[in-house]
Amino acid sequence: MTRTPGSRWRGRYLALVAGALVLVTGCASDAPQDTFKPAGPYAQKIDNLARPVFYIAGVVLVLVFAAVLFVIFKFRQRDDDANKVPHQLHGNTKLEVLWTIAPAVLLVGVLVPTLATVFDLARKPKDPIQITALGQQWWWEFQYPGTGIVTSGEMVFPAGQTVLVTVSSRDVIHSFWFPRLNGKRDAVPGRFQTVKIQADKPGEYWGQCTEFCGLSHANMRMRAVALSPADWERWQANQTAAYAAPTDTLAKAGEAQFAARCASCHQINGLLGTDGKPIIPRDVPQVSGAAPNLSHLMSRSTFAGAIFDLKLPECTATNTEVTGTPVECLNRSALAAWLRNAPGQKPMVPELKGDPPKGRGMPNLNLTEQQIQELIAYLSTRK
Amino acid sequence: MAIIERPQPSGPLELAPAAVVTSRQSLGVFHRPTTESGWRSWLFTVDHKKLGIMYGVVAMFFFVVGGVEALFIRLQLAAPNGKILSAQTYNELFTTHGTTMIFLFVMPMAAAFGNYLVPLQIGARDVAFPRINAFGFWCFLGGGIFLYLSPLLGGLPDGGWFAYAPNTGPIFSPTHGMDFWTLALLITGIASLTGSLNLIVTILNMRAPGMTMMRMPIFTWMILVVQFLLVFAIPVITVALVLLSFQRLYGATFFNVEQGADPLLWQHLFWIFGHPEVYILVLPSFGIVSEVLPVFSRKPLFGYPFVVFSGVAIGFMGWGVWAHHMFASGLGPISVAVFSATTMFIAVPTGVKIINWIATMWGGRLWFTTSMHYAIGLVAMFTIGGLSGVTHAVSPADTQQTDTYYIVAHFHYVLFGGAVFGLFAGFFYWWPKVFGRMLNERLGKVGFWFMLVGMNLTFGPMHITGLQGQPRRMYRYADGMGFNFWNLVATIGAFTLALGVLLFIINALKSIKGPKAPLDPWDARSYEWMTTSPPIAENFASIPAVHGLDEFFHRKYEEDEVTGQLTKVATAEEILADQEAHREAHIHMPSMSYWPLVVASGFPILGLGLIFNTLLAIIGAAVIVGGIFGWALEPPTAPEADQGNDPDASGGTPKELASVG
Repeated sequence: MTRTPGSRWRGRYLALVAGALVLVTGCASDAPQDTFKPAGPYAQKIDNLARPVFYIAGVVLVLVFAAVLFVIFKFRQRDDDANKVPHQLHGNTKLEVLWTIAPAVLLVGVLVPTLATVFDLARKPKDPIQITALGQQWWWEFQYPGTGIVTSGEMVFPAGQTVLVTVSSRDVIHSFWFPRLNGKRDAVPGRFQTVKIQADKPGEYWGQCTEFCGLSHANMRMRAVALSPADWERWQANQTAAYAAPTDTLAKAGEAQFAARCASCHQINGLLGTDGKPIIPRDVPQVSGAAPNLSHLMSRSTFAGAIFDLKLPECTATNTEVTGTPVECLNRSALAAWLRNAPGQKPMVPELKGDPPKGRGMPNLNLTEQQIQELIAYLSTRK
Repeated sequence: MAIIERPQPSGPLELAPAAVVTSRQSLGVFHRPTTESGWRSWLFTVDHKKLGIMYGVVAMFFFVVGGVEALFIRLQLAAPNGKILSAQTYNELFTTHGTTMIFLFVMPMAAAFGNYLVPLQIGARDVAFPRINAFGFWCFLGGGIFLYLSPLLGGLPDGGWFAYAPNTGPIFSPTHGMDFWTLALLITGIASLTGSLNLIVTILNMRAPGMTMMRMPIFTWMILVVQFLLVFAIPVITVALVLLSFQRLYGATFFNVEQGADPLLWQHLFWIFGHPEVYILVLPSFGIVSEVLPVFSRKPLFGYPFVVFSGVAIGFMGWGVWAHHMFASGLGPISVAVFSATTMFIAVPTGVKIINWIATMWGGRLWFTTSMHYAIGLVAMFTIGGLSGVTHAVSPADTQQTDTYYIVAHFHYVLFGGAVFGLFAGFFYWWPKVFGRMLNERLGKVGFWFMLVGMNLTFGPMHITGLQGQPRRMYRYADGMGFNFWNLVATIGAFTLALGVLLFIINALKSIKGPKAPLDPWDARSYEWMTTSPPIAENFASIPAVHGLDEFFHRKYEEDEVTGQLTKVATAEEILADQEAHREAHIHMPSMSYWPLVVASGFPILGLGLIFNTLLAIIGAAVIVGGIFGWALEPPTAPEADQGNDPDASGGTPKELASVG
């Protein structure tokens, strides 16, 4: 079969487009926040809508580039005869009306499915799992209404079920985003806005605050874990279990340290003060008025805005969301470094300013090494 | 106002009130500046050409400043967990990079072109209000200097160029940086507002005889659209900035959520300004390439009316799309649907322009000068930015894309591939007109390829990292996210790009001793080429009448009515000689003045006073008020400022500027 020069060019363009698509999609094999790898129906709906638009845009791009290249080669000046002046064509109204209408028609074709998807994604689900996600500088809190469960940095939910996340903020605007589960929704202080998410399979999903929220915006990540229905029940049971006082002496000392030095900001459910009453932080010296709840810290794999590993990456223990991280898997050095000087590990503004004084982030508590070891021993029992 | 025509005055000029105030001694104390050379001639000038050059030089300086900031940002992001910059410094640099590039480079550079070229393109001797023109320039410079005083006085602004409330409030941004930012933008806003009113009045009132609106050069048309956008957009940002500075300086609660405020108010105000601003940035460049492409294709602009009206349409539709910056902020499905639709359809007039540019080249004889390289580069690169823009209009997809590097990629293709390439096309095209010297074409083309390759290496990969989930405005990213490779490529691209800009600066400096430019180096088409290069102080010896679009071209070439063949009937030199033979007598050019500089210098002082010390604010306000009185009592034209060489040569009606500006 003989090929015309035109078809050879066409082949090259196709190869170029294919290559570009491979680059865009193929290089993403190790990207946990890839928008091209939807893991649930809502992200999938966006992907189904966006992909054809990318292809259409690609085709238009190729057409325009082809036209530009054609013009460049075909109509280039080949001699220096200044007296050769081309025909002074001023326009062609019919043609111009045509290429005004053509893109408009094409865009209507894109607009109709866009609007359908907008309203589809905005529809409220029936009997969803409810989670409230509250942003503050620079971590996320997840509350499970009606259960008393509060986590931070990590959101646990059952796979295969729709979760309606109510998003808000305690200070500045943040944005809630798990790219593989749905598009983002801004967390605006004073507003409670919802976004549906769903993961088809149990697994780990990564997300990030995507609205610039000040100094440590880059350090405000989050992790979502979808569990099987059975694990989900076990997780809830563990999170609502009664407070288990530590037994070994080091951890007991840590409990006292925590009550004295940490509990004015960090809640641990059921921890009793010297007066025998539960310690509940009331006047947290933070602009947001909140610090992460540490009741079940060991059920999480990360800490401090999900930027440090709490569970050693090489740890083979599974299902630690339900069972808690085993002591041998605890990333002691990272936790110790944090306790030694938190603002040295993550840029924060703990300076207490204003009246009453309020900071933004955890201050350096000037703990001794002994105190640090005691606190780690205590925290490692918070499963 | 404007140019008035009056019978030849028989006696002394009757402009000045017959009081004690004479034009030489405006307030009885200060002698009016008259120096025609040296630095004083620049400091106190009201000549739109000198002011245009000053706008250009200062804007270029800020382009380098903003570019160096970008290079630091790219160095920090070259590898995961970058340690070159602290979080605070990084946040400051991306804030000032955006602010500098938009408010201190692209806008004033477009003002440089507009100021310099519009009077020349419409056959005016100057703008309508020459002193206000000078005032605008000094406000722009004052605002720029004011912004960069902040690192000396408490820190650079750190809230992003978009300055979303409440993160820019006094609690969350406790340094003085954002105070400097708001006040600096208020000061440059004065420059934009006065400049835009000035150019609107100039374009509507001071066109050469015969130049109807639809015979105006397309660049002037696009500048006119931009000035209208400015007139309506600047007040909106001014309101927002005043509210924010009241909150920061005086404890007002406009954006304080605890007091019941809704922080989305800021976003609406900001983007109602911010989206028209995009067209403010890019339409001047569209005007430039619409001049450059026809000249180097040796054909008229294809569908001039379509290009004009699509520019006007963009100007109107640009007001109805702002909320597409807020698709993730929770507007509700109805608003999202409406703004999706409007955003898609603004692509139509933009697409029309691109196709018309290609049609302009179609069937022409393309001459690949450096200017033409940049113009074609704009057509190609802007297409990429426009198409990625359409993918944002698909609002569910935008909830994945917004605040990621995909957006950064998009608007850099629009603003670098669009606005900046257009400006560079303009540099190479009008350099001989402005300076009477040629830029080196070979060096220019090398620079172009560095910039083209550099920008694609820098911004192209950001499409990929953005869709892979890399958010913007993060001073570091974690390892293992799939971001590493393309970020390194982008950093290499940024330095390639910077090399291209450096080559241009070298080219510009070398042109000082470069070859003298011929009168009509490009076989140009429009009106501004009918005078000397650089133009004489009064622009034209006599104002040629206009008979159609591309007046200059049609004076050079005559079309055979039967065959359509064109034959050259006159050279540029002959056309100029003919004009000079009819030199008008008694051309009164506006005289130099201290007052624009004096009044403008009061604003940064006032700003510093608002931040630090009320006494200083009073001094600044006094300078402004006193300067305005000096200005008002100074007649616009000194009687001896007659540019006519031979007052008795012609009997025509003299023109004089009786401007209140």
